[in-house]
Amino acid sequence: MNLDHIRNFCIIAHIDHGKSTLADRLIQHTGTVTDREMKEQLLDSMDLEREKGVTIKASAVRMIYQRQSDGEPPVDYEMNLIDTPGHVDFTYEVKRALQACEGAVLVVDASQGIQAQTVAHLLAAMELDLTIVPVLNKIDLPAAVPDEVAQDIEDLLAVPAADILRISAKDSVNIEEVLQEIVKEVPPPQGNAGEKLQALIFDCHYDPYKGVVAYIRVVNGTLSAPAALLAISSDKRIDPIEIGVLTPAPVKASRLTAGEVGYIATGLKSVQDLDVGDTVTLASDPAAEPLPGYEPMKPMVFAGLYPTDSDSYHDLRDALEKLHLNDGALTFEPETSQALGFGFRLGFLGLFHMEIVQERLEREYDLDIIFTAPSVAYRVVTTSGSEFLLESPADLPDASEIERIEEPWCSLQIYAPSEYIGPILEMVTKRRGRVVNQLWLDTKRVELSFQIPLAEIIVDFYNELKARTRGYASMDYVLQEYHASDMVKLDVLVNGHPVDALSIIIHRENAFYKGQRMVSKMKEIIPRQQFVVPIQAAIGNKVISRANVKAVRKDVLSKCYGGDVTRKRKLLENQKAGKKRMKMVGSVEIPQEAFMTVLSLEDE
Amino acid sequence: MSFLFTSCAPKERRLKANDRLGWIAAAGEGPLGLYIHIPFCARKCPYCDFNTYARLDPLYEAYTQALCREMGRWAARLDGRTVDTVFLGGGTPTVLSSGQLGRILQQVHERFKLAGGAEISSEANPGIEDQGQFALLRRLGVNRLSMGVQSFQAAELEFLGRIHDAEDALRAYDAALEAGFANINLDFMFGLPRQSVEAWNDSLDIALDLAPRHLSLYSLIVEPETPLAHWVETGQSPAPDDDVAAEMYEVAISRLREAGYEQYEVSNWVQGAGFACRHNLLYWRNQEWIGVGPGAHSHLRYPAGSEGASTGERSFPFGGACEGVTGSDAPAAAVRWSNVKGVQGYIRRVEADESPVSFHEALPAEVSMGETMMLGLRLVREGVPFARFEAMHGQPLRAAFGPSLDRLHDGGLLESDGERVRLTPRGLLVGNRVFSEFVA
Repeated sequence: MNLDHIRNFCIIAHIDHGKSTLADRLIQHTGTVTDREMKEQLLDSMDLEREKGVTIKASAVRMIYQRQSDGEPPVDYEMNLIDTPGHVDFTYEVKRALQACEGAVLVVDASQGIQAQTVAHLLAAMELDLTIVPVLNKIDLPAAVPDEVAQDIEDLLAVPAADILRISAKDSVNIEEVLQEIVKEVPPPQGNAGEKLQALIFDCHYDPYKGVVAYIRVVNGTLSAPAALLAISSDKRIDPIEIGVLTPAPVKASRLTAGEVGYIATGLKSVQDLDVGDTVTLASDPAAEPLPGYEPMKPMVFAGLYPTDSDSYHDLRDALEKLHLNDGALTFEPETSQALGFGFRLGFLGLFHMEIVQERLEREYDLDIIFTAPSVAYRVVTTSGSEFLLESPADLPDASEIERIEEPWCSLQIYAPSEYIGPILEMVTKRRGRVVNQLWLDTKRVELSFQIPLAEIIVDFYNELKARTRGYASMDYVLQEYHASDMVKLDVLVNGHPVDALSIIIHRENAFYKGQRMVSKMKEIIPRQQFVVPIQAAIGNKVISRANVKAVRKDVLSKCYGGDVTRKRKLLENQKAGKKRMKMVGSVEIPQEAFMTVLSLEDE
Repeated sequence: MSFLFTSCAPKERRLKANDRLGWIAAAGEGPLGLYIHIPFCARKCPYCDFNTYARLDPLYEAYTQALCREMGRWAARLDGRTVDTVFLGGGTPTVLSSGQLGRILQQVHERFKLAGGAEISSEANPGIEDQGQFALLRRLGVNRLSMGVQSFQAAELEFLGRIHDAEDALRAYDAALEAGFANINLDFMFGLPRQSVEAWNDSLDIALDLAPRHLSLYSLIVEPETPLAHWVETGQSPAPDDDVAAEMYEVAISRLREAGYEQYEVSNWVQGAGFACRHNLLYWRNQEWIGVGPGAHSHLRYPAGSEGASTGERSFPFGGACEGVTGSDAPAAAVRWSNVKGVQGYIRRVEADESPVSFHEALPAEVSMGETMMLGLRLVREGVPFARFEAMHGQPLRAAFGPSLDRLHDGGLLESDGERVRLTPRGLLVGNRVFSEFVA
């Protein structure tokens, strides 16, 4: 197809602002999928998802839009809708998806207005010179205030408020206008079909029959089946099983040329084998340079993950492997904790990614699991001059070998109604955050910018923000550089033995308070033993908080006569069964629930 | 669990099964106890979770009749086997009229073959009995009296919901002595919420002045679903303080020792040889007893090599609609059962000639051995003699529990003099940790 008749675009929207509803309407409106097929297809993929434990989702859909205009013959346009991941932790993937487009439809809920994530994605799109097509959605809602929101968009984009499309994706109002606007505003792709092949991988997923399927945008050159390919940055050879386009069902194609969007079924066995952002070229006639923007994915947040019942360790491993098939950003390695038994150390891109994984493991795989306190990737510089990224507090060398510890900082944006400025500033500064900027979006809404250590926002930050602002605030963060910081390892010792699962890396200023809380919590939940059990919080050899669990002085059934024997025996049997579930730390029996309680302990 | 269905078998089979039960009961050769439950009290104490009811006076007569009927059936089944001890417990047996008590004890004497010098105990509560009733009990052959004094402190008695005061208790004790009881036990409770060690010492002072042959001192347990448990849950009463209770227990152990009492069980002391409660010793030695009355438990051992010591249906020689049933497929070494708890249901079943049993469990050898340990180790001096264990279970104690014995010995909780194992003084204080080693 003539490049002039191709439009590659994505939809940017805050969660629940109507991105997928609008996508569905576009697909139906263009007749790509009939109403009946739409439903069936949805059901099919859900069944398959359940059966195979893999997510089948179209990352890109090719629609043929027949544009009618007065007095001219209708013209067919190839409209490629490219999906973007919704969460801020996937900023990198979002950018790669944006990179595959020339335009972006910005969907804003006419009742809720602009949110932090919307702006983050919008800025990324503008950085890549995408043409923005703003759309006000949900104008059917009684709470909609389209004029106000349109004004906000005008302030943000310098698009006249009056020109902004007002639609209801739910009620199919003004869908044709959206398509017309895209054709009119979004430029056709540039690119030279005659140059050497450069195709950008903007997403991939695992298919049980075709292996890893890469979603690509051909930037230059021509991709023809079945030529051998090369992923330039990772230097990986690919022998494609097939290439094609998504309608949204995959349809084989013999070639994809510059400007087009499609897929390559690579036959590779794991999504780790292929990196989003990498450039695919012909093995026989490779392009010299990859496309810009590639970065290998790096987990930034780590947490231990343990089954509450050690018998389900293998189920947990299976679940992680399945998740991993489709989530290349998730890393996991076996880890053993004295207190919690066999488990895994998981690496996540960020806190939202961690939440998604946690939720999916619990919901989709029905597993009872314990997450240990999450930790960020600290950079440790040793006295001998070497440097490494610390993923687990257990791996921290002795203090004498540490030159310094650096922690990752991020820039944090919070959007909220202005009456919540006080509570937000309070919670952010309490967490070592620094105010960078306050920007009034209008008389009622404010954008607050901060610098804050990543470690401070990975535990309960988002929940607390929501609680403090009655759910009205939204946030986004972008990782920035590492800064040296006065970090210490805080250990909890029971009867002189450190409890590995409870060790955390923490800023020295917060260590005392946290240590006290952990000690008093542990004191409550450790049952009395036959001897006095000291509980201490310590930094290195220095004890900063301590308490004692008193010894049991008497534990004997006072009465046991003929009528009591069965009941008393069962009581003792239960006592014994409870003891079996205890974890031994040194010579102290600690119920596993104790760890769960301490780990779930929320900071106030 | 196939035996569940046999419990719903028709009446003919029930009667046949009951005959088998009689056969097992009659076949035993060791000592046998008879427990008679009187499920009535003048008032229900707020801490009590026994199967006893207040304000059921209208049922006393019908109950006496049903109880005598159940005893009659057991007497027939036992077929002349000697009964060594009888224990009239409750509840408060003495709430019954002289006539009712008379008929019950008369039934005991006339229908059962009592051993010469059989111990016949009755519980009593100060404030209920008068001199005449004590004298009546004596005349009816009762030779041991156990009185629920609980405390000599007015505030504590009130908290415990007792109907008597300290004066009543002293009077009752004197009356019992006067009626000719030489073997009297007094029950006390310690570790009450707000009870001080001084107050406990005061009660002990008075108790020791009375110098009864036997003392039972119980640490208060907050039993679930009692008014006391509700008070503790809702903060109307503080929970008993374990540390204070431990101190009181230690105080009692040392003071009673100085006063010449021997602690023969976790909560029981005796002054002078031969005054330990022989009926209760049957329980602690994991021997045999028949319980009659609502909620009463029974325990019989299968004669070694008997047909009963096998699996499945034959292990459960019971009729009646049983609600709670436990057991395993392993051969049963012993069987335990209990009657329905409700008084009216009990009367109805007995009068209809149905089995009043509502719970039974077959005890596989290893469970029964565990019970021998859990019960026997309560006997502070006697412990579990190696010879008796082996005679009872057909295998040496060390073969059954060697590693546990070693572990507890090394931990300083058990000791052995070559003939027995028993708790050390430290083991006594944390007995549950020792006992639980021997249960499943």
